[in-house]
Amino acid sequence: MDLFLMTIATGLMVGGIYALVALGWVLIYKCSGVLNLAMGEMTLIGAYTSLSFYSMGVPFLASLLISLIIGFILGILTERIFLDRLIGEPVLSVIMVTVGLSFFFKGIVELIWGTDTRVFDPPVFSMEPIKFGPIVVGQVYVWSFIAAMILLVIFVSFFKYTQWGLSMQATADDEMAALSVGVSARFVYAAAWAIAFMAAGVGGTLLGNINGLNISVGYLGLLVLPAVVLGGLNSVPGAIVGGLIIGVLQNLTGAYLDKYFPGGVKEIAPFVFMAVFLLFKPHGLWGWERIERV
Amino acid sequence: MSTTFLPCGVYHENYAQDHAWFQTNLIKGKMILLFVLLYVVIPWTADVYWISVMNQVGYTIMGALGVQLLIGYCGQLTLGHAAFIAVGAYTSTLLILEFPWPQFLLDLGLAYPISIVVAAVVAGIWSVLFGLPSARVKGFYLILTTMAAQFITVDFLITQYISQIGGRGQAFSLPTGTIKIGPWTIDSDVKVYYMILTFVVLCIAAVANLIRSRVGRAWIAIRDNDISAEVMGINLVQYKLMAFFVAGFIGGIAGACWISNLAAISPEHFPWFWSLWLVGVILIGGVGSIHGTVFGALFMVVVMELLQMAVMPLSDAYPKLLMDFLFIKESAFGLSICLFLLFEPNGLAYRWWQIKNYFNLWPFSY
Repeated sequence: MDLFLMTIATGLMVGGIYALVALGWVLIYKCSGVLNLAMGEMTLIGAYTSLSFYSMGVPFLASLLISLIIGFILGILTERIFLDRLIGEPVLSVIMVTVGLSFFFKGIVELIWGTDTRVFDPPVFSMEPIKFGPIVVGQVYVWSFIAAMILLVIFVSFFKYTQWGLSMQATADDEMAALSVGVSARFVYAAAWAIAFMAAGVGGTLLGNINGLNISVGYLGLLVLPAVVLGGLNSVPGAIVGGLIIGVLQNLTGAYLDKYFPGGVKEIAPFVFMAVFLLFKPHGLWGWERIERV
Repeated sequence: MSTTFLPCGVYHENYAQDHAWFQTNLIKGKMILLFVLLYVVIPWTADVYWISVMNQVGYTIMGALGVQLLIGYCGQLTLGHAAFIAVGAYTSTLLILEFPWPQFLLDLGLAYPISIVVAAVVAGIWSVLFGLPSARVKGFYLILTTMAAQFITVDFLITQYISQIGGRGQAFSLPTGTIKIGPWTIDSDVKVYYMILTFVVLCIAAVANLIRSRVGRAWIAIRDNDISAEVMGINLVQYKLMAFFVAGFIGGIAGACWISNLAAISPEHFPWFWSLWLVGVILIGGVGSIHGTVFGALFMVVVMELLQMAVMPLSDAYPKLLMDFLFIKESAFGLSICLFLLFEPNGLAYRWWQIKNYFNLWPFSY
């Protein structure tokens, strides 16, 4: 029973990070209709940037801030250079441009930082585990979860209460109507990419704190897909719930099924789940149902 | 509409003529020249290095042909084709190594040819299995299910279970001499070249013939508008699954052929990267054209080799560069996909068509 509770707790906390990255993904999809497969490499760039500054002696929060700023700039640049020209193109072109971008980013990350695993040294969070009754969780998980939750609240209130956020919501809802009342769609697209890049960077940094940082952290970018499919592609609460559920599911399969299917069952379970889920409820939990026959 | 320009005074009188392969004697002559070039000139003149590059091109063409069929002709997006190539390769390897072949089949050298056929069928069936969701979903969701095919097949089933058969652990080694077709043992690059070339020609001919048949027209109708295709009486599910089967079949042949070129096969030969690479090949070559597939494969493989050649001399000055070449290649691949989609969305096949027309219409190009 303790194992069960602990697995759930760890899963929820890792799921918080997934939720953050999934939020960035959903944002891009909602605002500009781009299905982004470069999310994993975006997390890598952010994570490696903050790690570099941290190892240079900059305090953790400051280096996180620097990586946020760099993510913001890179997000706007990416949107302006590559995605801006592809508005209205077929879905395969858009997806493959993001795939191309992901290889481009990945190659550059490997060129600059190499492929060895790096850790945040000295560790940012202390190694002492925290106890909640019978549940024992590493401190880094708790802090990551708290950080992810704070950022989620910031992002969500940004959409709800600021003018920029409202204009983004308007564009996502109906682009033509938003254009006619004076919302600049190009600005919204750029902002969506910038925010997604920033969210991905924070997610990558937090994950890098847990397991150390190497290229396989970019796997997070693929893990986001089951999360957003589960929640529905264009739903922000769906992305958050989906991220949490995928985190829990991953840890549960890792804890209980690993005995029967040794090896990579933890990595594969979200995708199996996704494939089965798609067969029965392709629009996810809260996605818009477009009625069409296939 | 036929895409070839005919000389003045030559007219087609029926549909069959319009879709014939060799519409004029000039085209026939050019094709015979191409045959001579591929079968005689290249293997006799090129050195071993370029032959092995050509083998890679052939393998890429066969792999990409299935992707082209699915994406370019049937409109079913797929990002997991390496899984089916892997299924083909592993089926063939396992059959050769583990199956108790009767002695007379071994003497006749039929083990490998039979295993290629079985591998192709198994890969086709496996592909249909993962094509089943296409009955309910399309576009992005189909991409997700094909991605799941990649992860389930290669990263889970093959890595964890298939690789354990025979207690070898990670890789299956194929000693030289195990792969025989009839009296010939496939043990040198030139022999592999001939084998792959023959299979590439057969596959291209088969796909080209399929495309101009009822089945191919049904696929194209589904790609262009699936609802009107259904209204016209095309059974969508049946034809989509047929496309998945043929694509998997060709992928299986590609995988089974490629093992003759490898000393050992392991799951690392079929990463997700390879699936994406194949889609990149058809995007650069041109979606919806068979010769686009060939151009794309030539471009991707040969350009990467040239890039390597350009980097090599610099490695004396910067030894790190040699190690980093893989990453440069990855970046260059990503960037070239982006740039092609942005500035040349019709691919190389369209450029080729333009150049050909320029010469066909010369000197009066109006």
